[in-house]
Amino acid sequence: MLKKPATWHRRHDVPWLIAFVLPAFFIVVAVQFYPLAYSAVLAAQEWTLTKSQEPEGFVGLDNFVEELGDETFRRSVRNSVLITGGAVILEMILGVCLAYLTMGSSWRMRAVRTLLILPMVIAPVAAGTLWRILLNYRAGLVNHLLGLIGVQGPEWLASPDWALVSVILLDTWQWTPFVLLVAGAAIASIPGDLLEVAAIDGASRWKTFLYIELPLLTPLLLLTLVFRMLESLLSLDSIYSLTFGGPGYSTYTMTFYIYTQGLRNFNFGAAAASSWIFMAFASVSIALVFWFQRKDW
Amino acid sequence: MKKALLFLFIVALLPLGGALAQDMPHAGAEIVATYMQSGTYDIGAENIEGAFEEATGIELELVASPWAVLNQNHITDLTTGTGEFDVMSGEFWIASVWDKMLPLEDFVERDEYGGDFIPTIWQPGPSGHYDGKRIGIPYSADAYGIVYRTDIFEEAGISADWETWDDYIAALDQLEMHLEGSDIAPSVFSWGASEQTPMIFLGMYDGYLVDADGNYALDEMSALASLEKMASLLDYNPEGAAGLSIDEANSVFLTGNAATMICWVSFMRAAAQNPDSSLIVDNWAVASFPGPGFPFISAWNLFISEYSENPDAAWEWVKFYINSEQATERFVELGVGSPYLSTYEDPELMEAYSHDFPGMVDNLSRAQSVPWVFEAFEIFFRNTSELVIGSISAEEALANTLAGWSEVTVPPALVQSAAAQGQQQDM
Repeated sequence: MLKKPATWHRRHDVPWLIAFVLPAFFIVVAVQFYPLAYSAVLAAQEWTLTKSQEPEGFVGLDNFVEELGDETFRRSVRNSVLITGGAVILEMILGVCLAYLTMGSSWRMRAVRTLLILPMVIAPVAAGTLWRILLNYRAGLVNHLLGLIGVQGPEWLASPDWALVSVILLDTWQWTPFVLLVAGAAIASIPGDLLEVAAIDGASRWKTFLYIELPLLTPLLLLTLVFRMLESLLSLDSIYSLTFGGPGYSTYTMTFYIYTQGLRNFNFGAAAASSWIFMAFASVSIALVFWFQRKDW
Repeated sequence: MKKALLFLFIVALLPLGGALAQDMPHAGAEIVATYMQSGTYDIGAENIEGAFEEATGIELELVASPWAVLNQNHITDLTTGTGEFDVMSGEFWIASVWDKMLPLEDFVERDEYGGDFIPTIWQPGPSGHYDGKRIGIPYSADAYGIVYRTDIFEEAGISADWETWDDYIAALDQLEMHLEGSDIAPSVFSWGASEQTPMIFLGMYDGYLVDADGNYALDEMSALASLEKMASLLDYNPEGAAGLSIDEANSVFLTGNAATMICWVSFMRAAAQNPDSSLIVDNWAVASFPGPGFPFISAWNLFISEYSENPDAAWEWVKFYINSEQATERFVELGVGSPYLSTYEDPELMEAYSHDFPGMVDNLSRAQSVPWVFEAFEIFFRNTSELVIGSISAEEALANTLAGWSEVTVPPALVQSAAAQGQQQDM
């Protein structure tokens, strides 16, 4: 029996491939692109739901200009940068350190790792509420423990600066375990013979880490960084329950601002414009990380 | 024989069926009613849901949601005309959609309903009105108040009969001297719950909230003085008070660490008389909220959506849920402030709540709601919070508020509410 050529197979498979791909394609278009396109249309409309059931007219880029000029929006961008920047850097450093500290497959190490990842499985709203209690100035555990070592704890949630620190602390506490898990898996996958060769060549532990392990871990750590940046930028529920954006506007983030504009003030035009600015901001940040990843160091 | 008996049985049941149809004119109707998920109003509704269905034959579905979600649901439902909810729980926060609520005048007149409410609560403001017509029936009434420690006041020889905030501050000065060296602060307030700070401002402020043209505005001189006075109260609070939530401030008072507390009385009433949660049982009372402003009122209303397919059945639920017996029961069982005078005139309750009722009734009789949509409220409370934590001055807080308000439209219903309560600038 003659074997059919590869081109015949390809041609024969095309209708099947299309049949399988099309439903998924339409679902992606319906679920992702349509809302995105609709929000772009909304961003160019004047529309507050409580004033009108229909959009009140095309305003071009006015919503964008207004949002970029809004002091509260600018402050929320600054807060987002500080919270995400601070939290993600801490999480990456602590996560990698903890991954090295908890390496191994003994039951003790497995138990420690299990305990360490517990914060990650708590709902962010509950975590925010929990930390609100812990950070209570008068009766919270944190200030009580600080008092035991003779340190007067700050007014965590009443001071603008300490409130920002509190949000960073919460994010770090909850999401360092994610970095720990990924980094732990990456470390475990480093070929043992590479490390043996380095040891035979007389490389110190630090140099082995710096010149062998870190370059091998970098692609995965950068991917983790992207995930954490996105997640942290998008975070709303923990801030909602921990500080509610306060005191004043001290912990108002971009997502909190968009939530307020869209779902409390029902100003859809402004919320959509802010969302697009947010998306551009997040995309640029992530593109920078990917550029960093592709760069040949 | 069997058939004849069955026939006779059916014939015998017919008058009963007629009677049932007369007693239950809306039997079979289905309605949906919303409540805030608070563990009070919603539980009060759940407690009588079965009795209502049995008495009327109406099928009732209760939907309880957290405050923010509840308001979002209502606004979305009414602006899109979905008509998912027949009876809606709300306050002035959803005034932007009050034009979509059913006028209730005909129901009220037909059933001669509403004669026994506290007069101020039945008026526009606490009671939802649109275009001069009643659209809401109030089912709760809680006014901001000041609670104080009767034992400490007695020891110090201070009287809690203040009329103005200056009188109250003078009492705090006396308390400060009397309590020197103790851990007890003259006052406590939930400064960390920043949305609460405007309540003190409203008590101090003696001016308009909406200008003659129907825009958000403040009498700048009076507002500035009130903002400064409000921020100065923090000095009388315990250390770290700037971050206190409502529960935390309540706890400071209940554990005996403050001589007075500015608060929602209903949030602490039950706990304060419970020996398991309070060290001040029988040692506290409600005082009048000082002027020249007004005590802010929380008066939840039931509204009927104009999209309701069963408005008569919906009205049956409104009457079943809101009456003096139910309101008194909710007050006793769940601590919900009653909008009915009869609750506060009940001899047994008067005796049991002698520390509470006189001050509460006085505050309720002067209480007002505000004409703020949420956006206006948020602009104001964020800026007052910034003032309290010292990030900006009173002048900046006022300027920021007025600048923010210039972008916000006052819904017609709230302009009318402001005018009815004397909160609009004279023409």
